[in-house]
Amino acid sequence: MKISATDVAYVAGLANLEVAEEEQEGLAAQLSRIVEYVELLNTLDTDDVEPTSQVVTEVSHVQREDRAAARAGSSETAKTVGLFKVPRVITER
Amino acid sequence: MNLKNITSDALVEKYRNREIAVQEVIEDVFDEIDRVDPDLGAFIHTRKDAALEEARVLDQAIANGQTLSPLAGVPVAIKDNMNIRGIRTTCGSKILEEYVPSYTSTAVERLQHAGAIVVGKTNLDEFAMGSSTENSAFYPTRNPHDHDRVPGGSSGGSAAAVAAGLVSLSLGSDTGGSIRQPASFCGVVGVKPTYGRVSRYGLVAFASSLDQIGPFTRTVRESAQVLETICGFDPLDSTSTEVGVEDWTGTLDQPARGLRIGVPKEYFVDGMDTAVRDKIQDAIATLEGLGCKVKQVSLPHTGYAVATYYLIATAEASSNLARYDGVRYGLRVEGATHQEMYRQTRMRGFGSEVKRRILLGTYALSTGYYDAYYLKAQKVRTLILRDFQNAFEKVDLIVTPTCPTTAFKLGEKTDDPLSMYLSDIFTLTCNLAGLPGISMPCGKGSDGMPIGMQLLGNHFEEGQLLRVAHQFEQAGGFNS
Repeated sequence: MKISATDVAYVAGLANLEVAEEEQEGLAAQLSRIVEYVELLNTLDTDDVEPTSQVVTEVSHVQREDRAAARAGSSETAKTVGLFKVPRVITER
Repeated sequence: MNLKNITSDALVEKYRNREIAVQEVIEDVFDEIDRVDPDLGAFIHTRKDAALEEARVLDQAIANGQTLSPLAGVPVAIKDNMNIRGIRTTCGSKILEEYVPSYTSTAVERLQHAGAIVVGKTNLDEFAMGSSTENSAFYPTRNPHDHDRVPGGSSGGSAAAVAAGLVSLSLGSDTGGSIRQPASFCGVVGVKPTYGRVSRYGLVAFASSLDQIGPFTRTVRESAQVLETICGFDPLDSTSTEVGVEDWTGTLDQPARGLRIGVPKEYFVDGMDTAVRDKIQDAIATLEGLGCKVKQVSLPHTGYAVATYYLIATAEASSNLARYDGVRYGLRVEGATHQEMYRQTRMRGFGSEVKRRILLGTYALSTGYYDAYYLKAQKVRTLILRDFQNAFEKVDLIVTPTCPTTAFKLGEKTDDPLSMYLSDIFTLTCNLAGLPGISMPCGKGSDGMPIGMQLLGNHFEEGQLLRVAHQFEQAGGFNS
């Protein structure tokens, strides 16, 4: 599957990335090569294979008691890094 | 004092006997860093004042006759993707260049609790994405054996710091070989524990189903010591396991006789360095000499591992790195709207390899391609896992080269991402299957560069792994 410069711009939008127009062709070529390589997987028949999202090595679920514990919280964070200031996201009509 | 010539337990013994003060050693460490590191580039930043203060307190405790913890006063380095409260965690990225975390990662906290003194944070490929440490946003790290060559990656700074004798030991993280490959290139021991062994609380996430923290050391015994310190359940990481930490240092000398060791035929491929092939054959003969039974095994899906890995790892990375948008962490580039702020911040903050991987991962997860790429890769991951399950019914451990070649030259692979990815071919199956693995020196190539042998064990079989590695080390005396 070839990836075009338009595909790159589209996927970049999904990923909140901005890719300069002059970079799009080069990235499309690199990504095409990688995607063509990974298509090697299509030569395997996996119809009856369950996917593995994580290798589960644990015999049972690990759970902890529902008890409050002292942690580095927001006040600690504020002391170390300062308060978070976010830009305005709601505007007046 | 050059730390190359003394193990951490011998160092602690000297403190205990008051042959040397902790402050002297830590001062020497910083002198050596000042002398060597401007060329080597192993560290991103150091914490001299804090380390010397910790040394002073420890010297006082020794003077008062207090019992010393196993790693008391041992100088260590931490890959700069693990948090230490109050000092920067850059991840080798412009986007986190000024980020100061408000908490310490569990693995580092456990090392510090055992008395280790953190001297600094080490260089890495940006967000641990790379195999050469050339993707650091700041500068590349060089291989201590030859400054024209890469130290491997992504934990290249941690490997180089140990290999150059700047610290006794260090921590790295391994998502597809990022501890074992640089250990191989730099001629040191590197361990990637079983998935879930070490808490990842405070480790900046790259690919959450693959990431694991582990040590770099000069000897296997020191790696066993670090693992005993950092492994074990942590309520702050839901993927950490309750499987018990064993007395790994105490069982290193138990006989290896009779252990069955598998040699996977798929790992001896065309294009491998002849020197690498020869040294691994020699290593296999040494293992037989220790009484191990060596037999050939097959891992038939090995050839699909790189493709599987680069789909899964990039998909997970694209999701994990979505949080760097200028709001909570590090860099913010202002924009007219908040969307523009996100995009501008990410465009300026991320380097090209990180962007490439985010794009690939986003593509693999996007509507219309999810089944064809991401789901397909997860299914092949099951086949790779089954290969190992079948093999471990016949053998106890598997031996392979860590890498197909010795350390390559700086710049050699930077223009060709795919050829860089392929250099991880022998290390990344271990992460896909969640297994423990170790790389240790087994000789040198015709270029004089170190060659690494990799041993892989079944889940939670770190004990066997370390035992065989230790006895191999004793038999060969390969340490650089």
